[in-house]
Formats: sequence, structure tokens, C-alpha cells
Amino acid sequence: MSESYGIIASFPNTPAFFHAAEKVRDAGYKKWDTYSSFPVHGMPAAQGQPRSKVPVFTFCGGVSGFSLGLSIVWFMNAFNYPLIVGGQPFFSPVFPFPIMYELTILLSAFGTLGGMFITNLLPQHYNSLFNSDKFLEVSGDRLVIAIEARDGQYDPVATRRFLEEIGGTDIEEVSA
Amino acid sequence: MSSDTTNSKGNNVGLIALVVGIVGIVIALFGFKQGWDNGDVRPIMSWLIGIGFWLSIAIGMLFLTQIWYVFHARWPTIIRRQCEHGMAAFPYLLVLFLPLLAIPFLHENPGLLWKWMDGHNALPGHGTVGEDPLYQWKSPFLNIPFFAIRAVGIFGVFILVSGLLRRWSFNTDTTGDVNNLHNARRLSSLGLFLTSIAMTLGAIDWFKSLEYHWFSTMYGVWFFAASMRAAISALLILCVILAAKGYLKGILKQAHRYDLGCLMLTFTIFWTYISFSQYFLIYSANIPEETFWYNIREMNFDGTRNSWWWVSMGLIFGHFLTPFLCLLWYKTKVVVWRTVLVACWILAFHVLDLYWNIVPGKMVTPDHGPGYLVRQFSISPYDIAALIGIGGICIFAMCRSMKKAEPIPVRDPNILTSLNYTE
Amino acid sequence: MATTTQDSSMDATQAALLAKVQPAELQEQPLVTNNRDFNWVTDKICRIVETKTPTWWWICMAVALMTASFTGLGLLWLVSSGVGVWGLANPINWGWAIVNFVFWIGIGHAGTLISAVLCLLKQGWRTSINRAAEAMTIFAVVCAGIFPLFHVGRVWFAWWLFPIPNSNGIWPQFRSPLEWDVFAVSTYGTVSVLFWYMGMIPDLSVLRDRAVQRLKKNAYEGAGALAKGMDIFRKNFYAIFAMGWRNAGNHWRNYEMAYLILAGISTPLVLSVHTIVSFDFALAVLPGWHTTIFPPYFVAGAIFSGFGMVLTLMLPLRALYGMHDLITQRHIDNMCKICLGTGSIVGYAYIMEFFIAWYGANPYESFAFINRAFGQYWWAYVMMFSCNVFTPQLFWFKKVRQNWALVWVMSIFINVGMWFERFVITVTSLANDFLPSSWGYYSPTMVDILTFFGTFGLFSVLFLLFLRFLPLMPIAEVKFVMPAADPHGHHGDEKGDHH
Repeated sequence: MSESYGIIASFPNTPAFFHAAEKVRDAGYKKWDTYSSFPVHGMPAAQGQPRSKVPVFTFCGGVSGFSLGLSIVWFMNAFNYPLIVGGQPFFSPVFPFPIMYELTILLSAFGTLGGMFITNLLPQHYNSLFNSDKFLEVSGDRLVIAIEARDGQYDPVATRRFLEEIGGTDIEEVSA
Repeated sequence: MSSDTTNSKGNNVGLIALVVGIVGIVIALFGFKQGWDNGDVRPIMSWLIGIGFWLSIAIGMLFLTQIWYVFHARWPTIIRRQCEHGMAAFPYLLVLFLPLLAIPFLHENPGLLWKWMDGHNALPGHGTVGEDPLYQWKSPFLNIPFFAIRAVGIFGVFILVSGLLRRWSFNTDTTGDVNNLHNARRLSSLGLFLTSIAMTLGAIDWFKSLEYHWFSTMYGVWFFAASMRAAISALLILCVILAAKGYLKGILKQAHRYDLGCLMLTFTIFWTYISFSQYFLIYSANIPEETFWYNIREMNFDGTRNSWWWVSMGLIFGHFLTPFLCLLWYKTKVVVWRTVLVACWILAFHVLDLYWNIVPGKMVTPDHGPGYLVRQFSISPYDIAALIGIGGICIFAMCRSMKKAEPIPVRDPNILTSLNYTE
Repeated sequence: MATTTQDSSMDATQAALLAKVQPAELQEQPLVTNNRDFNWVTDKICRIVETKTPTWWWICMAVALMTASFTGLGLLWLVSSGVGVWGLANPINWGWAIVNFVFWIGIGHAGTLISAVLCLLKQGWRTSINRAAEAMTIFAVVCAGIFPLFHVGRVWFAWWLFPIPNSNGIWPQFRSPLEWDVFAVSTYGTVSVLFWYMGMIPDLSVLRDRAVQRLKKNAYEGAGALAKGMDIFRKNFYAIFAMGWRNAGNHWRNYEMAYLILAGISTPLVLSVHTIVSFDFALAVLPGWHTTIFPPYFVAGAIFSGFGMVLTLMLPLRALYGMHDLITQRHIDNMCKICLGTGSIVGYAYIMEFFIAWYGANPYESFAFINRAFGQYWWAYVMMFSCNVFTPQLFWFKKVRQNWALVWVMSIFINVGMWFERFVITVTSLANDFLPSSWGYYSPTMVDILTFFGTFGLFSVLFLLFLRFLPLMPIAEVKFVMPAADPHGHHGDEKGDHH
């Protein structure tokens, strides 16, 4: 018998989905997730998740960009080959500002996108859930909660019953 | 009508504000009189700083209200009512402006504050205003009657637009008529344009023409940015106080404070953008007829650094960098004391920004020889008195307005979204 | 009695106040009309990509390719013969090239405004237009980039613009606004692509899943082989770029944060890009160019022209694809109002420029402005003024906003007007500057004209390819603003967006 990934359950509408997620959180499950084709307002709190860590990556990117811009302009126009232009000083924080600004934004953007991928552990082109037909319907309008088998509290029978109790239908076990 | 508890609290605050205001004004007017009698412009500038500060807050609140109407924003509905109370200060500000308007008409030297008003005023270097070809060119605009008409017109626009918006909003409380909202939206679209022109003219007349040789197309936008910052900060402080001690208890949510914090960040960035662009363009082109304005805010005629250099640095690090970095963090915008601290900081540096714009000036050297003296940075007790005095009157005006309507627009169509607002 | 959430620090006063809350009725149009459901939205958008290419697409593509070839021809002519084939000559050394550059970059700005700024302002109506608008931005930046790239003359040395060591041992000159343009436009193009791509990841996963579902069902009757082959292609192509996205709540959390941050970054970016473009002019000492209000004035003008282009594209698309329930009258209203608003800001800037040109008591500055209106380019000034100042004022009237054909025509006028504005700014200040003996007149040559009109073809080619292969609207975001997505109960007459 192939290993089980976990159990998925579907919910009829967004409010039911939302409240069911709160109940799963309160029941103490740790390795589970909600699946919907659109972000549900307030779901991170309902799932008991902390704030996203993506801003850390953004900040690192931004600081690198800023320093890079500053160093480029200082090195190239004031140190390595000083240029006299328009009577302006060899280096001042005023005129390199556009360069520093743009590089800050560029590297912050890369940081953000990279941060999003890293915190989401993407790319991850394979996941057991893709084998389930019902799961593929999440792209349409299906709202699914999946509780993974590796969760400490997972029990094939008890978890299934729990999902039924909180309003889940079309309950299916997904193989790994 | 408001309930008894809020009524009596409101009464108390209003009364205290009125008393404090009158005391402040009396002291500031005493300084004004000293300046008037001795031909010393500095105490008169105190009055201008005080007016500038509170007027910028009122103008910012007027803009905020109109912008929120035009964007059909629902979340700020409960906050908008507080702006409407704040806008009640406009008529009082017009009256408080009159001493400044009295100078050209009643003083023997009409150009005591605004140099161009008197053709006999000596210019640094040589000559008088009357002989100055630059003044002669600008005289169709820079003359006393037109100046006075403009001043009345500018305040007229503010009073008219804010008055209509207040009336319609208060009317919705009693009648629940949705047409009030539609009228307000329509007026706001036109009103934004009118208010912008009025505000720009005000900034040009009252602040830029202090050094009438100088010009910049960006100046009105600077004043807009500064006013918005001041208004949002003042509004946040007001709402937090009302939520702690007054009628917004339990009504003002974290989500509201967060969004106001985001607005503070946005306008911090915007103010920096505008101020920097103005500086940068003038710096890069390096044309002396424009650069002198920035030069006096950095150095004396002989090139040595003057007191304004430190103020300029203060503005960069204190009015931009510090609030910007603080407001980037989520915590700053949701933890109450942090947000209030940043708001107070911004207001304090807004005063500094007004100083930086108003006080520096070229003064004639004692022997009327070449060169000029720069009026240095100073904080005089009359500045503080004017700020507190005029502020007291504005707060009194606001408290009076609070008695005329509900604390929140109870029958506004969008009230529920605002009351239930979450992030 | 109204329902509200009660805070624990309530007391009798607050309860009494809340008891008075009784909102008046306000009818606001929903964002997705006709009570559509999620599946309808998904199907509507995906089917454009999944079904056979319509005939009109082939016809448009053929015309676009032919037009794009003009640019190819023009550039080939330019590089092989030299910059002399353009109409530039003393004193007007900046002509159509920079005007076209600013024109296209300006158009791009609306896309970023819709994606980023309207997102920060929580305007839910942006969702049905933001994907196409962002695509418009990227393609506009491509078209814009052609001009500064080729105007350097020796295009094979264009890499010297970047801070890369070269055998001459010199570096770029960082005090030049033209150098800042290099950084600004590159950053803008890159960040726009990143933002656009990130926004597409959930939708690519939808296309992937639908292809997988169809392949599993294997119901390809009739011309089955080609359809099945296309689905296999889709499954793999979209899957690669979807990066394994599986619509998980955990993922949405990070995604939403990244989206918000990118929106927050793109906003100052879009402001800075056109500001730096305006610095090309404002940092000089020429009358008519050196004005401190240029940065926000250019940005407002860019957004104005960009929204004109969005309207030009969206109105026909709506009709061709039957998107009336997704791009509703409310959307058109809002876009018209933004045109009106930004057009008014441009009007304010015109007034300020004119006034301060006089107030500044600089005779050259005053002359520059009078010359714009009455000098040798008066016809361009009339075009600019009528299209930019008068045309958008018609949007005050509801009747006008509801007449889609009229709105479409006006959107074209807006872009024509904005092109002429950049032309007037650039050419009049150069043609009639300080010394009358140096005055001249600029006319574009055939190469200028071909190159410019060809870029419309290039833009269309790219946009048509986008329409054919990528989801035209962000499915997830459109669903987000529908009432059925609200986790706190389905309010029957609730407006589409929460804010």
C-alpha cells in the first residue's frame, strides 16, 4: 500500500472555508494548509501563521543596492578617474542620488521576488496533491483543506471524522 | 446631538483652548507691536510662522477630505468627520491673518515684512525696491491692493469649500440624504483644483515673496506636501486622543491607525521628493538668480557656514530620514505610542521647515555696501507664543464644531465599512 | 439596528452612539456584474488562451508585423548610413527620437500606476485591467528603449553606457541625466517584468491545472491530435513558469506580502523614472526647460497619456472578447476620471509654468512661452492645448463617459496631445533659444517618421502575442474582489471591493 500524503476535504463557500480553517488551527494541527484559487482576506490569522518574512529579503536587497550605487559612483567618478563636470565637486551625496535610488529599488525588487520564492520553497514542480483530481479543481472554484500525514496528530480515521464535523465534503485520501 | 459626557468634556477642552489661545495671542501680539514700533521684522515673522503652521494643518485637512471623497474611500469615514471639525478653523484663521494684512495699510513702512511692498526699502548691495527692474517687472502682481484681494480670495475659497463640505456632511447626520454625498463628491473634484490654485497663490504671496527675487514653479507643490504631512500627523494625534479619552473610544481601530501611518510614510516620501527635486534642479543648473535662495540657507556672503546649514541638515536627517526609516516598519504604524511619537516628531520638524522657508533673508549691510547679511536662525519666545496662541484658537474652533454634529457620520452610507474596518 | 463589531472597551456612551448608526442607502455598481461565479471568471479568461486563434487576431498581427517592419527598415537605414539621416541639425539636436522616447515611457507609467499605486490605495476595480496594463508597460518600455539606444549613433558601443570596464579606461559620467536614464529605464523594465511575472504565477498554475485536467479526461474528438498536442505543450510550458504553485494558504501569505512590497517599491520607481526623464530637460539652463515643477508635471502627464492608451486598448478588447461583465462601466468611469484628474494636474503645471515664466522676470523665459504659442510651431501648441486641456474636461459629463466610442476617440486625442506636448517642449526651446542668429526649424525626415510609426506596430505585435498566450486578466485578483470571496459572509448588496 502506497504511503499516504494526507486527507483533503472541500468546503462549499468562503465563510465555511474560513471558519473551518480556524477550527483546524484550534484543534492543534501543525502540518496542514488551505487551498484556494484566490487569497482569502484574513486567512493567515485564521491559520495561525506569523507575518511573512519576505520584507527581510527586500531590506537586504535594498541595502545592497544603495551601497552598490554609492560605491559605483564614488569609485568611477571620484576615485579611479575623477571627472570635472560643471564645476561640481568630485563627489557629493547629491548627484549620485538617482543612481543609488534606482539600484536600491532594483535590488529590493530582486530581493522581494527571491524572498517570495525562498519563503514559499518554490520552485517545487512536483507535489503529491497534484495527483488528486479534486485538488486540480481548486484552480476553478473548489476550496480545500489538506491535513498532512506527517502531522503528529494525524490519524486516518479520526482526522477524517474531524473534517466531516467541521463541514468538509468530498473527503479523499491522497497518496504520496 | 452629542451625549452629555462628551459634551462636557468637549466644553472643558474648548474653554481651556480658548483661554490658552488668548494668552498666547496676547503675548505674540505684544511682540508684534514691538516689531511694529521698532521696525524689527523678526517678531512679525513669529506671527507668520504661527499662521503658517496652523493654516497648513487646516489646508491639509481640507485636501484630505476632498481626496477621500474623490477616491470614494470608505475606510476613513469616521476620521473624515474629525477633519471636518478641524476645518472649522478657517474663518478664525482669516481673522488672525489680519494683523499681517494691516502692515501694508497701516504701518509707515508697508514693506516691513514683505520687502517689495515699499519702494523705499533698501536692497542689499545697492538701490531700493522702487529702482529694482526686477520689482518693476513684477509690480502688476506684487502690489498691495492685488495682494489684499488675493488674500481675501484665497481664504474665501477655503472657507467656502470647507463650509459646504461641512454643511453637507452634518446634514446627512439628521436627514440621511444620499445626495449630500454625491454633492460632496462633485464639489471635491472641482474643489481640489480651486484649493490647489488658492493654496499655491497663498504660498507664493506669503512665503515665496519674502524674497521676491526668487522663483520656483514647484513652490506650491512643496507647500501642499508639507501641509499634508502636518495634517495627517495632527489628525492621527487627534484621533488617538479621542480614542483614549473621548468619543472615539472603541471606534478607532488599529487598521485606521495603520492606514494613517501609511499615509504619513507616503507623504514623507512625497515631501522629500518635492523638496529634493526643487533643490536638485536649482543646484545642477547653477544659475545665480536662483541659487542665492539656497545659498543663504547654507552660508553667509563670505562663504562661511551659517546657522541655517545645521537647520538644513536637520531637515534632511530629521524631517526625512528618521520618520522615513521609522515608518517603514510595521510596528511603528500599529503600536500607539510609536505612531504618536513619529507624528509629534513630524509636526516639530514641520515647524522647522516653516522656519527654514520664512526666516532666512538677505539683509542690507550697515553701510549699504556690497554684499549682504543673512538673518540667522533663532527661536524667540514670540514664536512659541504665536504657535500656542493661534493653535489654541484653532482647537477652540474645532471643539465648537464638535458640538454641532455627531462624533461620527452616523448616517453616511459608508459608515459600517469604516466602523468594521480591519487590515 | 446596524450590526458592528464591539470592542471590549465600550461603555454606555459608545453604545448609544453606535445605536444611532443607520447608514443611508447607496447604490454602487459591483465590480463583476451579472452575478457571475468563480468558474465563469476562470473559464472566460482561460478560454481566450485555450481556444483557436480568432481570425481578427491574424489580420491584426499581419498589419502589426508590416507596420513593425517600418521600424526595422528605419533603424537599418540609420545604422548603415549614420545619424545624419534623421532631421537633427543645429540648433535642434534633440528631435523626434527623444520625444518618442518620453512618449512611450509615459505610456508605460499607467500600467505601473494601475498595478502598484491603485493596489496601495486598495482600489479593487484595478483587478480586471492591471495585467493587460502591466503588459502594456513592458512593451512600451521596449519601444521606448529603442530610441535612446539607437540615437547614440554607434550602436555597437552602446554598452559603454553601463558601468562596465572598457578598453578606453573611462567610466560613464554619473552627473548626466542621460546616464541616469539608462539606470532608471533598465530598472523600470526589469522591475515591471518581475512584478508582471509574479502576478502571473497563480494564473499560469490555473492554465497548467486545466490542461492537466483535460489530458486526464482525454476527450479529444474530431481534430483531437492537434488539440491534445497543444494541451501537452500548455501543460509543460505553463508548468515550468508556474514554479509548482499550488494555491496554498501558506504560499498566498508570502505572495501577498511580496506583492504589496513590489507595489510599494514600484510606486517610487514609477515616480522616479519619469522624474529622471524630466531631468533630461530640467537640469539644463534652457528657457522653457529649466523649471522646478517638471518632475511631478511629467509624472502626471505620463499617467495621463498612459491611461489614454489603456482606454484605447481596453475598449476594443472588451468588445472583442465579450468582457463587459469584467470591465464594467464603473471601470471605464474610473479610468476617465483618472484622465480628468491627471489632465487637470497637467493643466495646473501649465498655469504655474506660464505664471512663473512671467514672474521670474527673465526675458528669455517669457519669450520662450510666448514663442510656443505664437512662433513657428504654433500649430503644435494648438494641438497640444486642445487635446490636453479641453478634451479631458469632457469627462466631467456622465453621458460622455457612457459613450464608449466617444471615450475611445478621446483617448486617442489624449495621446496625440501628449506627443505634441513633448514635441513642443523639446523643439521650441531649442529652435528659438538665446541668440536669434542661431534660430532654426526642425522637420522630421522619412527615417524619423518610419521609425516612430513602426513602433506602434512593434507594440501591437508584442501585445497580440500576450493576448494569445498569456492570461489577459489576473484571475485570482478578480475573484478576490467578488462578494463570494468574502470570508465574513456574503452581503447581498455589498460592493465588490472591501475597502
